[in-house]
Formats: sequence, C-alpha cells, structure tokens
Amino acid sequence: MTTVDYAIDLTDVHKTYRGKIKALRGVTMRVHRGEVFGLLGPNGAGKSTLVKILMTVIRASRCQGGVLGRPVGDKEALGRVGYLPEHHRFPPYLTGAQVLDFYGALGKVPREERRRRTSEMLELVDMKDWAKTKVGRYSKGMRQRIGIAQALMNSPDLVLLDEPTDGVDPVGRRDIRNIVARMRDEGKTVLINSHLLSELEMVCDRVSILVQGQVRQQGTLDELTADQRHYAIELASDPASARETFRAALPGAVGLSEQSRLLMAPPDAPPEDGPASRAGLAARRHLREELPSGEWIEIERSTIRVGTTDPNAMSPIIDALRAHGAVIRSMGPHRPSLEDLFMAAVTTDDGHTLGPGAAEGSR
Amino acid sequence: MWIQTWALMLDAYRELNARKLFWITLILTGLVVLVCATLGIDENGVTFLWFDLPLPINSTVVPVKVFYLSLFTGFGVSLWLTWIATILALVGTAGIIPDLIASGSIETMLSKPISRLRLFMTKYVFGLLFMALQLLLFCGGFFMLIGVRGGSWQPGIFLAIPIVLLFFSYLFSVCVLLGMLTRSTVASLLITLLLWFGLFGINLTDALMISARAAAQLNLQDRQESLDNEIGIAERHLDLMRRDGEPIPGEAGVPLAAGATNTLESVNERIQRRRENIPEAEDRLERAKKWEGRIFLIKTVFPKTSETIGLLERNLISDEDLDRMMPEEEQDDKVLGTMADKRINPIVQDTIRSRSMTWIIGTSVVFELVVLGAAAFIFARRDF
Repeated sequence: MTTVDYAIDLTDVHKTYRGKIKALRGVTMRVHRGEVFGLLGPNGAGKSTLVKILMTVIRASRCQGGVLGRPVGDKEALGRVGYLPEHHRFPPYLTGAQVLDFYGALGKVPREERRRRTSEMLELVDMKDWAKTKVGRYSKGMRQRIGIAQALMNSPDLVLLDEPTDGVDPVGRRDIRNIVARMRDEGKTVLINSHLLSELEMVCDRVSILVQGQVRQQGTLDELTADQRHYAIELASDPASARETFRAALPGAVGLSEQSRLLMAPPDAPPEDGPASRAGLAARRHLREELPSGEWIEIERSTIRVGTTDPNAMSPIIDALRAHGAVIRSMGPHRPSLEDLFMAAVTTDDGHTLGPGAAEGSR
Repeated sequence: MWIQTWALMLDAYRELNARKLFWITLILTGLVVLVCATLGIDENGVTFLWFDLPLPINSTVVPVKVFYLSLFTGFGVSLWLTWIATILALVGTAGIIPDLIASGSIETMLSKPISRLRLFMTKYVFGLLFMALQLLLFCGGFFMLIGVRGGSWQPGIFLAIPIVLLFFSYLFSVCVLLGMLTRSTVASLLITLLLWFGLFGINLTDALMISARAAAQLNLQDRQESLDNEIGIAERHLDLMRRDGEPIPGEAGVPLAAGATNTLESVNERIQRRRENIPEAEDRLERAKKWEGRIFLIKTVFPKTSETIGLLERNLISDEDLDRMMPEEEQDDKVLGTMADKRINPIVQDTIRSRSMTWIIGTSVVFELVVLGAAAFIFARRDF
C-alpha cells in the first residue's frame, strides 16, 4: 500500500538475478518528504539495484509500495523524479546545454520552461561558460555537474543521486553539498547513494545502511547513535599508570567491581575476540561492562568512556580520578561518526567485515 | 507526448549529423548520381562526358528513357543501393542499439517518463531514416537526371524508396535483435552480413532447385514425346502393313519368323526401352519437386531480399522494353548459362515471376515483425 506521506515507501523488495543471485532480500525503506536521505552499504550491498528499481531500470522480483504516492514504475511519478545514475554517459555529440534540453524534454518539460531551466541549472552547477562545449570534451567533474543539472531539469519533487561526488574535486563536492542543502530548503526530497560517508554525514537527515541485500539500520544519525553516545575522559599518563588510577578510583566512584574484567585486563590488551588492528565500535564491544546505574563503561589505554549524555553523571568519576592524582588531558561528549556506524553495521560479532552482498542462494 | 517525440527526432538528427559515415555515404551517393549523369546515349552509341564508349547499343535500340531507367535499376539499385549503400548504412546504424543500451546511457533514458517500447521504436525508425535519406537523395538525383537528360519525368522511380527501405529494414531488424542480444556493434554487424550472404545462398539454391526441377520436367516431357513418337511410327507402319494386306507378326495366326529383325520388331524394342525410361524420369522429377518444395519452405520463412528488389524492376521497366534491351538468346545465357537446355531459363524466370507480391512482401514482413518483436520484448523486459 502506498502512503502519500512518504516520498519513497517500499516494503519487502526482492530482486533475484537469473534465479540465483539474491541482490535484495526483503528491503523495507521509507523516506520522508523533504528530507535528505543517505543510502549506505558496502560494494555489492544492493544500493544501486534498489535505486535502479525505483527508476524502472531494473524490475523487482517482488515489490510493494511506491514513489511519491504512486506505484513503482508509474510514468506520472517518474516525471516528478530526477535521477543521476552512477557512471552516466551522455551523448558525446551534445553540448552541455543540449543535454539539459534533451533530457528535460524527455521529462516532458515544456519548451519555454526548458529554456529557462537550462539557464538556471547551468548557473546552479557553475557550468555556464561550458554550455556550448560538447560533453565529450568535459572532465569527469564537469560531466558530474551537468549530470546533476540534468536531474533537476524537471523541477523534481524527489531527486536520486547515485554517487554524485564521484570524481569531483573538493570545491565541486562543496558545491554539490550546497545544491543538496538548497534542494532540502526548497522542500524537495533527496536520496543520495554514496561511499563518501563524511560527505553524507554533513548533509543527510536520515540514513539506511544496506548490507547483503537487507536493511541493517535505518534512522536519523541521532537515533542510530543513541546507544553509542558517550562521554570520554582521557588521562595524561601512560596506559599502565592510567590503568592503576582507574583500578583505584572507579570501584568507589561508579560501583565497578574491583575484580571486573575491565580493570583486570592488561592496559594495552586487544579486544578479546578481534584482531588489534580492527578499530571501531563492534570490536570494542567486548571490553565493555555495565554499571549498576545501567550505563556502559569501557576502558581503552588511557581513556575511559561512559555511555551517558548527562554531564552530571561524569562528576563523581572526575572527582575520584582527580582525588587519585590523575591529570586529565581531555574530557567531552562524543557521538560516533557515520563511519563508526557503518563499520559497526558491516562488521560481524566475531570481527569480520561483511563482503559484497549479492548473496547466492537463500540464507 | 509530442515534446518527447520531437526531442527524440532532434536527437536522431544530431546523432546522424555527428556520424561521419552518414555524410561519407551521402556524398558517395551524390557522386554516383553525378557519374551516371555524365553517361549519355545517342544514335551513335553511348557517351561518357565527351568520349564515345565502344558499346553495341544506341538510342535506336534502347530509348534514352529506358537507358537511364535501366541504369537506375541495373546499376543504381541492384548494385549501389542494395549492396554498397546498404553495407555502409548497416555499418553506420549497427551501433544504434548497442549505444542505446550501453551502461551509463540507458539508465538516464529509462528513468524518464517514456515507455521502453516507444524508445525502442524511435531508435529503430532512426536507423531507417539513415537509409531513407540516402534513398531520397539518390532517387531525387535520378529523377532529375532522367527528366533532364532523358526527357521523361518518371515519378515511378521514387518507388525505390519504400522498396529498398523495406529491403534494408529486413536486415536492419536482424541487426537490431543481434545488437540487443550481443550488445556489440561489431558482432551484430558481422552476423547480419553473414545472414545476408546466407539469404543470397538460399536464393541461389532456390534458382538451382527450380532449374533442376525444370530440367527433370523437360526430360520427362522429352521422353514422353519420344515414346509417343515411336508409338506413332509403329502405328503408322502397322497401318501401312494393314493397308497392303501384309500379315502382322504377333497378331493371331501369324507367327513371328525366327530370328527376324524387321522394322516393326526394332520399333517394338525401342518403345519398350523408352517405356522403361519413363519411371526413372518421373522419379527424378518427383525428387526435384520435393527439394524445390523444401527450399521454397525455407525461403518462405526468411526475408525475400532479391525478390523485394526485383519488384522495382517489374514495376519500372516493361517486359517489351526488357526484351528489346536483351534479346532472348542473351537472356538465356545470362542466368544459368551452363545449362545446355535453353528452355530451362524461361521456366525458372516464370516460376520466380509467378510468386505473388503478397508472398514476397507478406512473408518477409512477418519475419521482420517477429525479429523486431523479439528485440522489443527483450528491451522491454531486460534489467539494465
């Protein structure tokens, strides 16, 4: 059933290639109108397949829901969607302005409006000086700019950008971020599929992490990092001395047992079940314990982290550490980055990263 | 809808404009017309620019109009349009579908609110447009040429546009299907050319099978006539004997003299021998008909390329003109000159000419529709 409140409302989307390779295995995803939505996932997770299904480039094996309140593939809805495909190639014999005019016309934009939009879009992507040059002579970054302009020619309500910053220099990336922000301000919905997590983090309201054809996590960054937000205190001493200070101070301050695994572990011990080099939240989870107050606590070398967003909860710990002569190098609230979140989603409990997701056969 | 159609047509024009081969073919076509314009015919013979060519025809044998018309059908259409220009057009258009479905370009097209079928058909029509423009230039050029130099305005030659376009469309539909299947310009072009040569082979086999059947038919006919002849001789001999009151050997009461070898006896033997020859000839005719039928069936399935082009000659040059230009003996020598029996060729020609336009065009168009339908179905269903 389609719901008009969502720009994209998909339920139980499946795609099986040639009866064997399951690219999507029951994806359910909802994108609110007016938000910037990030689609993340490792290579082969099914992100592009999902976007292509929305754009009717690929036919889903099974799909419920729709786009802009219409079923997937509905031509009227497609006329209100803009799409920048990954690795797109425009006819090399067309100039930048002709590309915009041609695809605008295919999007059923009337002639006069096309003329006006072409000029506006060229201005928007800073390609006015190159409007009369054939796209065959464009650099990758220029092609990407024209590609984005092309996607916006029909003043779409929903824009799908597949790797929009691919091959674009830092200035161009900033420009694209600004364009996305402007679209959000205009009330348009933007779905971005990208590997550049830091870029996404700067513009996305919500994200969905796709792993092996399934949605592993979905929500706002705040929602997804709620249980990972914490305060961290770093002592200005070496890990061995810091560990002694923690052993002395923490049992009294937060009620941690003196025999706690956390306090007894060697100061530079690697995570129990993962290789030392594997950083990230998932790998550190094994050195985490729960306090009587219900918050989690973990110690890594000279740093102590407590799973709370309440600065008052940190006062007893700071007091106890200071009472035991500790010098605090830094202290503050922390929120995991999108990269941390991504790594946690694609890392199994035993520390392995999930590979390309087109899982063969049913799992 | 018109916005999209106009945009696709404009894009098709721009794409044509960007293809060097299109312009090269167009220029070559223009040059061919110009070269033909330099040829002339008068009472003294054929001229090229200011020179007389040593050819055994002149305007008293071949009227000027017929000379240019035969130049148009015999050289212009049969050689230039249906071979060289067609190959060039296939080379120029074989990339249309592979380019359309290439990764990176198809995604943007399919994301627009346009049906896949419409997109496919537009691209197909664009391919035909490539050829149609060559044809228009060629026919327009010849129309002027025959009008100005031949003194006869022949709008009939514009019939070449739909006919040659139809012929080209058979091959182009195959090329489109192969492009859809292989995604490769080179592969689709080469396989299309192979199929074309295959069709040429089928046509040749067809003509050979008809000749073989005609030969078997004539052979049976000859044997039958020879038998009838012998029987006639024998009967005439018997009549003479009866008239003269001679006893007839073998009849009641008249014994055949021992060791006698009179005329009647030798005639009887010859009749017997000829009778024995008949079943063998009948058997050969049956086999020839069976093979002719098989090849005809195969031909029915495939597009009739040469017959389609042949329709143009049928319509443009009357039989009388054709006979004037080519005396009967020459016609016999033209096709299957190695056949000793000169009665065979007219039978072959009659058989081929007796095939209806409905059969020629109808079955070819069915083939094209099936091939095109398959390509459209694949395009409409495929994941890109």
